[in-house]
Parts: sequence; C-alpha cells; structure tokens
Amino acid sequence: MSKLGWWSGLLLAFGALALLRLVLPLPFVIEVVIFSIYTAGCNFLLGRAGFISFGQPAYLAVGAYAAAFYLTYFGSNPYLGILIGIAVGFLFALAVGPFFVRLRSDYFALVNLALAVIIYYLMQKVLANITHGDNGLWFLTSLDSTPVLDLTRPEQFFLFALLVGFAVWVFYKYLDDTIYGACCLGSKINEDKLRFLGYNNFRIRLVAFVIANTTTALAGAMYAVYLGFVSPEITSPTRAADPVVVTILGGVGTLYGPIIGAVVYTGMKDVLSKLIGNWELVIGFLLVVIMLAGEKGIWGSLEPILRKALARLPMRRQVLADTEVEGR
Amino acid sequence: MDGHLLISGVIFGLSLGSIFFLLAVGLSLCFGLMRVISLDQLLYYSIGGYITYTVSQLTGNFWIGVLAGTFVGGLAGLAAERLVFLRIYERDITFSMITSFGIVIGGVGVIKLFWGLAPRPVQVPIETQVVIAGTEIPLYRLIVIVIAALVYAGIWIFLNRTIVGKAIRAGIEDVEHVEGLGINVYRLFSVTFVIAGALSGLAGGLHAPLIMVDPQMGLEVLAFTFMIVIIGGLGSIKGTLVSSVLIGQVVSLGSLVYAPLAQMAPFGIMLLILLVRPTGLFGSPLLKR
Repeated sequence: MSKLGWWSGLLLAFGALALLRLVLPLPFVIEVVIFSIYTAGCNFLLGRAGFISFGQPAYLAVGAYAAAFYLTYFGSNPYLGILIGIAVGFLFALAVGPFFVRLRSDYFALVNLALAVIIYYLMQKVLANITHGDNGLWFLTSLDSTPVLDLTRPEQFFLFALLVGFAVWVFYKYLDDTIYGACCLGSKINEDKLRFLGYNNFRIRLVAFVIANTTTALAGAMYAVYLGFVSPEITSPTRAADPVVVTILGGVGTLYGPIIGAVVYTGMKDVLSKLIGNWELVIGFLLVVIMLAGEKGIWGSLEPILRKALARLPMRRQVLADTEVEGR
Repeated sequence: MDGHLLISGVIFGLSLGSIFFLLAVGLSLCFGLMRVISLDQLLYYSIGGYITYTVSQLTGNFWIGVLAGTFVGGLAGLAAERLVFLRIYERDITFSMITSFGIVIGGVGVIKLFWGLAPRPVQVPIETQVVIAGTEIPLYRLIVIVIAALVYAGIWIFLNRTIVGKAIRAGIEDVEHVEGLGINVYRLFSVTFVIAGALSGLAGGLHAPLIMVDPQMGLEVLAFTFMIVIIGGLGSIKGTLVSSVLIGQVVSLGSLVYAPLAQMAPFGIMLLILLVRPTGLFGSPLLKR
C-alpha cells in the first residue's frame, strides 16, 4: 500500500472529527474524542486479543485518579498530570495483567468487573480522606495554563485531544501491520496453532492487555484534566459495560469502529435523553438487534459497502470485473 | 461484637443469601443446560419487584403481588427465550452475555417508561418480631429464608424425581445424547428459562419490601449475582447455594466489622477463589461444547 494510502484513512477520520466541531457544541466533540480513545483500548482487547472486559472503568479510574492526586496534592501542570496518569496506568496494568490474562475470556470479564467494583468502593469509602468520597477531587481552578496548547481552555484542549487521538490511532494502525498484531489475532482465533509456531500466548496477551489498558488510563487522565474533577462515579459498576457496548456498536476489531461508536453513542445519549429521557430503551434494544444481525456493528457493516463504492471508481472497475469472473 | 448483633447479623445474611440464591440459581441453570450467560435474569428480578409493588397496591395483599411477580417473571423469561435466545444458542458464550446485557439495559428503559425514575417503597407485609436467643428478629426475614429453602428442595425434587428434571440434568451433562434419545431439547430449554425467570421474579418480589424498587435495582445486584454464580461454579445448584450463603454472610457480617467491607470483601473473596480455583468451588471447566 502506498504511503499516502496508509495515512489517508486516518487523516480523513480525524478531519471529519475536527469538522464536527463546526456543527456541534465543544463539550460534545471533546467527550466524543476522549470516549473514542477510551473505547480504542477496549476495542483492541476485544477485537484483537479476544478478551471481553466489563471492568474497563477500573483502568479509566486508575488513570484519572493518578492524574487527580498529582494535580490536587503535588503539582499543577496538566501535561505532567496526564503523563503521570499514563505511567501509573501502565504500571497498574503490568501488575495485575499476569494474573488476569491467564483466565478464560468469560471469567476475565467478571474478574475485571470485580476490580472495578473494588476500586469504586476504595475511592468512595476506604480512601475517603484523600479522595473526599463522593464529593470528588476538584482542581480545575488550580491548573496552570501552559504555553503552546493551553489545556485549561476548552478550544485548545479539543485540539490537544484530537492530536492525542490521532497519535493513538496511528499507533493502533501501525500495530495492526506488525507481526505482533498478527500474533494477537492468531492467539484470539487459534491459540494452539500459534503455540506450535513457537509463540508464547501468555506474553502476547500480557502485552496486549498492557497496551489496551494504558490507552484506557490515558483516556482517564484526559477526562480528569478536561473536567478538572474526578469522583468515584467514573468507575461506577452501572457504567461498566459502556465501552463494550460502544465497541460492538461501532464494530469489533475495526480500526474506526470506536470513533463511529463513540459519536453515535454519545449523540444518542445526548439527543435521546433530551427528547424522551429514556435512552437506555433505545441503546439496549439496538444492542440486541445489532447482535442478532451478526455483531458487525455500524462501521463493520459500512466498510464493505464503502470499499465497493471505492472500487466502482472508473479506473478500478475493470479490475473488479476481472476478479469477479476469475472468482467464478 | 456482642451476641445480639451477631445473631441478627447472621439472620440478615441468611435472608440476603436466600434472595441471592433465588436470583443466581436461574443464571446457573441456564448456563448449565444451554451454555448461555443469561444476564437478563436481573431484568426479571426488577420486573418481579415492580409487579409486586403494583399488584400489592391494587389488591392490598403483598403475597398476591409476589405470585404475580413470579408469574410475570416466568412469562418475560419465556418471551426473551423465544424471541432472542433461540437465535443465539449456537453462538459463543460471550455473545449471549452481551446480548442479554442489551436486554437488561433495554428493559430498564421499559421500566422507566412505565413506572418512572423515582424509587417506590413496598410495605413490609409482616411487621411481627420474633425473639431468638434474646434477640428480636423480623419474622419476614425468616419467612424469606424458609421460602428459599423450600425452593431449593423443590428444585432438587424436580431435578431428581421428575422425568423432565432428569432430562434437564442429563442435558447439563451432555445435550447431544439427550437429543439422540428423542427428547426435544428446545422444549427443555424453554422450561428452564421459564423456571429461571420465575425464580428471579420471586427474588425481586421478596426483596422489594427490604429495599425500595427502583429501575436500577437489577444492575445493583448484577455484580453480586455474577460473583455468586462464579464462586459456586457455573451450572452447579449446590455450589450456588453454598456461595450465596457465604456471600450473604460476608456482606452482612462484614458490614458489622467495617461498613465499606460489606461491598468490597465479596469481590476480594471472588478474586482469591478464581485465582486459586479458576472453575469455582463446584464448577466444571467453563467450556463451550
């Protein structure tokens, strides 16, 4: 594939996200960008490594609280806060990963859920004198304004979030092209075969787990800096399935699925809760319908159609016709 | 800790464990026979609670409400089985987990549509206090325990003494052989789903006076129910009973020691048990046949 071809999809996707800013309010687009990064981790875990996790809020909270602790008690530089969030998220994933990735996928989902619940009560009750329990940590006013991109201003934060999101997607797209990406997929589809080829399934899964949950922690730290506020609500068990739902809504394992899913999910939540105040009804049954229709999700169903449309461009029409004839 | 507190704590834990048992046994049966993870049991639990609330307000009798809740729970289970689960038995376990979660979320929306957001209180039907070893215990909690014990005995008799129950048990061992004997396994699946739904509805109805019914009540017990099924081992009725009693006691006695422990300790126990015994206490390996 040509260099331009490699970048074109990414540029198009984030160009479209930037254009959303023109028609939609700022808080909405920022929420969409951070939510896509959050979902990207879950998408990688589910689509590439084959692990379904109902406990992503746990890692989100680790990133968010790491950033919040730093910004409340030690410093006031938002960039440093985000970096600390990533670092702590990385270390945390590295610490729990070896125990978790040994479990089969269904137990993995539940153990993660348990972790999310434990962190929820840890932050709400046990550590209440440093996390202020349900009141949460507030540090919006104490954030330093920084040169170049001032994260305390929403417009510039949006630009920053867009850049970070772009970097994350470049990373994941690159990962898909590497042998490691292929190994991940291999260990999801047929772990025995991969073992016979001489790869270590455990190590592949551990790396995938750490990559995915470091991304999640990054999203958490970004939430913390953007909102200037972190409360235990971020890891509430009732929201535990959000990233999984969005991943499936967008299309599991597809590159742009999380972005589409995040736009649709956040949009529906906003619009529907304003219209009928009952978005669960729609999102729940939509999930059931998508699953029954073949779990491809929105982007998963759109992609083949788009590809076909691209192939219909006059230049390629002949090639396509030829391959079709050969196929028969 | 003084003795009175301990006794009432144990009784409280037992009644909580009874509710959890009624809720988790359906999940466990569904997994054992159909190899699906039917999170929608939590929805029938909420529906059971709400139907109990409405019917007992209309008729003035709590127990008629509970009966109606049980009935509607079973009906909802049947509907979900016919409309959704029939199409996904062949698919991966994760698939049923996500689909049934969709049903729960959608169902919460339906509940909000009918009953609104505000929590509704249900009148405790029996306010009598019984004195056990010098400690006052609400009679209602004891009745809940007795009902759960009767249900356990009933399930045991059903599975061991009736032909349908024996077929279900055989199906848990090996579905293909049962099919080979000329038994319509899809009918067995429907029967199991109705039983599971009805028991979840019963759990919701019985729990309603002890908490308030609100749309999120199913999601609030989601983690606990799951945990009980996992600790006991998916597909094992005995394991479900043992782990629900265990978790009930941990929640109840844990809260006497240190309040936040009530919510956290069960999850700590589950983490430990899973890391030591990844199939739960009485479970067989979690495999798709």
